[in-house]
Amino acid sequence: MSQASPGPGPRGSAPDPTETEVMIALCARLLEDQRTAFIGFGMPQVAAILAQRLHAPHLVQVFEFGAIGPIPLTPFVRNTMGGPANCYRSLAWTNMNTIFAQAQLGLIDYGVLGATQIDLYGNINSTMLGEDYRRPAKRFPGAGGATEVASYCWRTIVIMLHERRRFVPRVDFVSSPGYLDGTPGARERAGLPAGTGPWRIVTSKALFGFDEESKKITLLGVLRGLSPEQVLAEMECKPLVAERVEELEPPTARELAILREEIDPAGTIIGRRGKA
Amino acid sequence: MTNPEQSVLRLLAEGEGEFRLTDPDDLRAWMRDRKRREFVDKTATAREAVARLVADGDYISFDFSSYTRGPQILIREIIRQRRKDLWYCAKFTLMESTLLVAAGCCSRIDVGFLGLGDTLNRAVEEGRVQVTEWTNGTLTLRHLAGAMGLPFLPTRALLGTDTLRYSGARVVEDLFTGKPIALVPAVNPDVGLIHVHQADIYGNARCFGPGVSPLETAMASRKVIISADEIIDPEDIRKDPGRTTIPYYLVDAVVYAPFGAYPGGLPGAYEMDHEHFAEFFASERRGGIQEYLERYIFSVEFHEEMLERRVGLARLAELRRRAVIKEGYR
Repeated sequence: MSQASPGPGPRGSAPDPTETEVMIALCARLLEDQRTAFIGFGMPQVAAILAQRLHAPHLVQVFEFGAIGPIPLTPFVRNTMGGPANCYRSLAWTNMNTIFAQAQLGLIDYGVLGATQIDLYGNINSTMLGEDYRRPAKRFPGAGGATEVASYCWRTIVIMLHERRRFVPRVDFVSSPGYLDGTPGARERAGLPAGTGPWRIVTSKALFGFDEESKKITLLGVLRGLSPEQVLAEMECKPLVAERVEELEPPTARELAILREEIDPAGTIIGRRGKA
Repeated sequence: MTNPEQSVLRLLAEGEGEFRLTDPDDLRAWMRDRKRREFVDKTATAREAVARLVADGDYISFDFSSYTRGPQILIREIIRQRRKDLWYCAKFTLMESTLLVAAGCCSRIDVGFLGLGDTLNRAVEEGRVQVTEWTNGTLTLRHLAGAMGLPFLPTRALLGTDTLRYSGARVVEDLFTGKPIALVPAVNPDVGLIHVHQADIYGNARCFGPGVSPLETAMASRKVIISADEIIDPEDIRKDPGRTTIPYYLVDAVVYAPFGAYPGGLPGAYEMDHEHFAEFFASERRGGIQEYLERYIFSVEFHEEMLERRVGLARLAELRRRAVIKEGYR
């Protein structure tokens, strides 16, 4: 293979992945077959569909308006979380109180969420920026259904663009709970279900977990071609770094083909090709 | 044996958000006196139903969403009649809260999900709209409490968050387990607005597919307006009672509303109008929301006129054609 030339290579290889494609592929790889996953709006939906098309055909997706186990129709149509394409071939159609009760009961293995801002302990802010809640510098849409997902699912995965200002030492507002102040047992002391919490953060450059003791974000892997230093330089908070930082394979030709040809040919979520 | 000291409910935290408390016995009296058990024809036009049942200052809640089976015809009529100071329950909204705020109809919002765009963000930043923080799940649970005639329900959500601090929830030590638990107060909306696939003239209503909380919203609300894409024979209801979502005595008005969820879709019947939503969001972004309100609401007298003159039959036919997935929706 010839190196460095952008665009299709000699064997017709795909152009470079977009940042969104990286996040989606890395996230999809985390989702196991024959497990339940509470899926948030947008990117998480595409990641779950990609997982279904690859290694997890029996991944059981659940949604906040109560659809359980759909096999969404592709091409993926943006904005249709509650519509017939996304709810296609479900196992059951319930409603919001029922599905959040099932998550509270402990039946949902993974939660997959997008986020605006996150802090060192995995707390998510989707409400506002600023010192004073009553006078927000910037208002966001609010907690939505993410609080329940982040509170109840056994393992929460957060997908976010890797931008400096999105990773802060302390969020201005905890909309959805991570490990709170990071002290041992903080979630349980607050009354949250035991043994839950953020498990992975997937970005356009890296994969993070959480340190067992300190509950701090911990760098587990970086995208091939990047160094841990490069990744950490683009974060306002200072995560821990695992002893051995894994090299993450960029989206494979197969992942990209399914994303680009089957799931999102219009590029509504994954972005236009070559934009990287 | 219970230690008497342990049997005192300890308040651990309290949100400062406002909410309206309902006394369950007042609610029962309302249900006794105001919800008609007689089989009467409740059909009304959107204009009549909104004029009669939606008042300034009311708390309003809708089902299901902006994109799917939402009572858009009723939201537009409320705006057209220029209701004021509404308190809006934003649990699954992307469009209605923007429209209500831009039209000056709404001064308070319970968030869930506020909606997208600077129209809303600025209104909150500048204090023109007062928000109380909740989550989609806790707002829906508050409807369940309201639907059960209970003052509150417990939940393990909100705990540990700032959302709780600006909600109306309280955290107590649970008397049974000793663990902290959040209590959310019931909400009993003044008006529930619910779009359904089918209803009969008495208000027995069917909606198909997943949803947020059609039945809880109908049970919790003091006044209920159903908009229905199709009016069916009461005999059809009795032939297949397993498909009834909402029984008639909860319902105060039935509005015949073909394409009533437009620009959202009705599963199995018509697709959402993606191009229309794109136009809506684009006009919001460039500060053109007043023109949007004028074009789709104020410059037309009623829903059907909006469909004919602003959307067009060809477009509606196209949306019906796009609704190729029928399984489960009839």
